[in-house]
Amino acid sequence: MAWKTDAPMVSLTDDSTNYRNEELWEREDLGGVTTENNPVPVLVVVLVFITIITAFLVTMPLWGQRPTAALYAPYVHSMDKPEVLAAKDDVEAMKLIVAMNKGTPNDGLLERHPVTMDDLRMIRDQVTALEAKGVDMRDYSVVGDRVVIANFEGNFRPDGTRMRQQPWWDKGFTIDVFYLSNFLLWVFIVIKRLPPVTWQPRR
Amino acid sequence: MLKYLMARNEDIPPGSAAVYWGYSSIVWFVIGTGLGAFNAAKLAFPDFVTGLEFLSFGHMRQVHVMAVIFGWISMAFGMTMMYMTPMLGNTKLWSEKLGVWNAFLWNVGLSLGLTVLWWGMNSGREYSDFPWFIDLYVLCFMTIPLGINVWMTIIHRRTQGIYITNWFFGAGTFMVSIVLLVGNLPEYFHLTGLTEAYLTWWNAHNILGLWITPVGAAIGYYTIPKITGNPLYSHRLGHLHFWSIVVFYSTPASHHLMSAPLPEWLKSFASVEGVLILVPAIAFVSNILMTMQGKWNMFVENLEVKFTVTGCLMAIPLNMQGGFQQTRAINWYIHGTGWIVAHAHLALLGFSTFVEVGAVYFGLQTIMRKKLWSLTLGNLHFWFLLVGFTTYWVSMTIAGLIQGAGKIYEVPYIDVVIAEHPYMIARWLGGSLVFMGNCVWLFNMWMTARAGTVIPAGRMAHELAYER
Repeated sequence: MAWKTDAPMVSLTDDSTNYRNEELWEREDLGGVTTENNPVPVLVVVLVFITIITAFLVTMPLWGQRPTAALYAPYVHSMDKPEVLAAKDDVEAMKLIVAMNKGTPNDGLLERHPVTMDDLRMIRDQVTALEAKGVDMRDYSVVGDRVVIANFEGNFRPDGTRMRQQPWWDKGFTIDVFYLSNFLLWVFIVIKRLPPVTWQPRR
Repeated sequence: MLKYLMARNEDIPPGSAAVYWGYSSIVWFVIGTGLGAFNAAKLAFPDFVTGLEFLSFGHMRQVHVMAVIFGWISMAFGMTMMYMTPMLGNTKLWSEKLGVWNAFLWNVGLSLGLTVLWWGMNSGREYSDFPWFIDLYVLCFMTIPLGINVWMTIIHRRTQGIYITNWFFGAGTFMVSIVLLVGNLPEYFHLTGLTEAYLTWWNAHNILGLWITPVGAAIGYYTIPKITGNPLYSHRLGHLHFWSIVVFYSTPASHHLMSAPLPEWLKSFASVEGVLILVPAIAFVSNILMTMQGKWNMFVENLEVKFTVTGCLMAIPLNMQGGFQQTRAINWYIHGTGWIVAHAHLALLGFSTFVEVGAVYFGLQTIMRKKLWSLTLGNLHFWFLLVGFTTYWVSMTIAGLIQGAGKIYEVPYIDVVIAEHPYMIARWLGGSLVFMGNCVWLFNMWMTARAGTVIPAGRMAHELAYER
């Protein structure tokens, strides 16, 4: 079981141990089933790394996060504008509100989370009450007809309140990096403890 | 078989337990898919069989799911373990008697469990629907004895190395008992709320991830090299597969509850790990397909290879769906729709079932030393299963997308029901085809035991020509 580290990409096991392992590999009959010593194909390695990158990119909270109260506060403010009040129906009123609030960094999120005038009426009083309290509207999520404190536990502010905003990177991703690094390291060691891929069992 | 329950271990012919497990699994497959087809008929035709409480969908759904998971899939796993584990260790099963008793108690326990579900006594927790006393029975008399037999056989092997299949068998039997023990804690200790929800899905996720998926793959690792005669392409890919499934699949149960008030970091963690289940899938599929090199004719000519490779190929869409459907971006759309039902059937009726069917065909012929009675019926079984499953999967996937759209755009529920009605009929047709195929299979295996051509010593079943 001796180790050799001068050529880690070839083998992490010393030559005599590798030789004994090769002998055993060739001699042993596992119920008529045998195994080759082929390398992990390059394409598989590439696919694994593409999967890892994709896993982080596709799970970032940019996609699929709940809308915050801050997103709809400008909509609520626009509800009392004369042109909106003069609209012939709710559909036209909503179109006007959307048009009035275009051109902000939230355009994409608003497009993904469209609301109707009825939705706005249900959250209007709650949004107004929160604004009156002077809270950070980004700390609140809109869940159907309710405006609730968001389900995040961020850092504390100087005033003692806690940030409730989804970061683009949270500790879940940090744990993933730790997990993945360990996985890649240990699988690399396990694989490289085998005889070098230049050797194939003769049968 | 029952006579062996009271026989001495040394008087029980080797392979008896495997035969008992194998035939039990086929019978449960017929029952399970029959129940599924019945349930599908109730969804397609709401007036079909009404007025009887125990035949209502709310009672029957759990009976179908548990019959398939614990009856068909797990008993077929038990069957493969009873013959593959000793063969790969060049030894005998540690205890043939324990194997026979285990199969007997498995059948008794499952019958009891399904009966109480039928009466309407259930835990209300999906995939762990049995009440707590049945859960304890499952653990003590079903999974733990199976694990003991597998582990002791591996420990008493007459080889120095352990082949990949036995890594998975050993780990799978260990992990499934841990999963059932921890996953059912809410029932033993009356845990409620979010804890119950999380443990329910931790249990459901890991029954799939640490039992059905790895053991299904393990079977493929045996069947393909054994029948084709090719060495497994890469021992290293086996390592990549084994460790990635243990590391990545064991953790992310919270991605089943993306809209629940679980900590968001836990969802982020789970979601990344959820995509990473593609890693074991890539390793498994590439290893099996590379092992097929030079023997692709057997995919057409050999029934067992046909089933196994088809199951292996199904692992590709299965893991592509599974990896991505749990992300926040997709989950909000398809959560709680027929899409998930389609995906679950792709895992259980697609990937896992096809691989297992191949192994049960191969194992029963090998152990009984009887050639399959009819190749025609075998092929009929394959096509009934494939066409039936595909019809089911495609129709439910479309129905799921319709339901997702209905959910997001707040379409009145009854309009969604009307829109998906044709797909419910297609689902019933597909399920019925699967059920009929399994009836054919049971008949074929019954005839194989009674009138199959005897396989001469030293030959393998697939080396002999079919007579029918």
